[in-house]
Amino acid sequence: MTQVRRRNKGDDNLPRKGNWYLLTGLVMGILFGLIVSWVISPVKYVDTVPSSLRSDFKNEFRSQIASAYYSTNNFARAKARLDLLGDPDPIQALTIQAQNLLDIGDPTNTAYLLAFLTSALKQNSGESQVLPSSTSLSLTTSTATENTFTASPTGTTLTTTSGTPSKQPDIINTPTLRPSSTPSPTPGSPFILKSNQIICDSPLKSLLLQVEVTNSANQPIPGTEIIITWSGGEEHFFTGLKPEISDGYADYLMTPELVYSIQLAKGGAAVSNLTAASCSTETGGANWGSIKLVFQQP
Amino acid sequence: MNRWLKFFLVVLLGLALGLVYGWVISPVEYLDTTPSTLRYDYRTDYVLMVAEIFDSSQDADQAVRQLAQLSSDPPVEIVIQSLAYGSQIGYASEDLVLIQNLATSLQTWQSNPGVLTP
Repeated sequence: MTQVRRRNKGDDNLPRKGNWYLLTGLVMGILFGLIVSWVISPVKYVDTVPSSLRSDFKNEFRSQIASAYYSTNNFARAKARLDLLGDPDPIQALTIQAQNLLDIGDPTNTAYLLAFLTSALKQNSGESQVLPSSTSLSLTTSTATENTFTASPTGTTLTTTSGTPSKQPDIINTPTLRPSSTPSPTPGSPFILKSNQIICDSPLKSLLLQVEVTNSANQPIPGTEIIITWSGGEEHFFTGLKPEISDGYADYLMTPELVYSIQLAKGGAAVSNLTAASCSTETGGANWGSIKLVFQQP
Repeated sequence: MNRWLKFFLVVLLGLALGLVYGWVISPVEYLDTTPSTLRYDYRTDYVLMVAEIFDSSQDADQAVRQLAQLSSDPPVEIVIQSLAYGSQIGYASEDLVLIQNLATSLQTWQSNPGVLTP
């Protein structure tokens, strides 16, 4: 009895020993596991895919794709490469990049190339919409290496097939070059100013100098370079960067005090003395409108 | 059960949980990578793009700048490696010719006495 009483007294004086050592061990183990998985042996940055690239490298990649497309006119290959970047809307990504480049003066002169590719993409998606429902374009390949991106495995062709299109994102082929139906200017014909009008009720913002360029068949021409000058300044911009409006459309935000002249880089009539248009409102006031110029080849 | 044995078993359990969290639940993410980390087939296609652009521009300086995104190795080595890999995985002959032409031009570019190289 005496011994038992003594032991109980000792228990009251000592700190209680529970299962805290187990929790300590668990925490130590978790910490060590995290150190191993995040520091000692983390997931390594090797064998990555283009969709994981940093945004500036993605921009560089897009510029490369556009330049290569401009050089080769191989649309299927350009499209396959763009798909690798994983953009939800490649047309929008290209357009935004081109506009950003133009905003900073386009030091690398790639805005036009991006616009050219944007136009081809839009044109191509339009083509696929007018195909009969039972017919679709698909890429087929006779030899392919699984999980290997190859720009040109042998024995591949672009064929027209019936039925459900097959999608093989990791296997790219060398398709037969398809004819491009992107509208282009008629060689040798200068552009004429077809119309010059002031727009007061535009759904777009005001003070815009809107330019529309079409060929002799009245089809919009993307990628047309437009030169705008004013006293002490000059800028270049391109059609096709707002495909949601028109492939042949471009606009420029004017400053009210300045007088502008514009001309297409491919030649044709120059339009001068352009100033911000003033529109009267129903209440007798005035606000700024926009100007719309339409250039066409005869 | 021995207290030490229990302790080490719990440490192992914690280690397993840490590894599962670090490798499976929240691994280091593949974000913001650079072209130098691209898988070899993508790198080879990138070199092919450079070769396609070079074929029309004939601008070796531009090609060198573009290839520098991939590696700090000499540009001609990058192209030759890609040429070998492209041959191995069955690139079309016309594409291999483009890469070959780029390699040849870069060899000339390197030996150009007017261009300073580090």
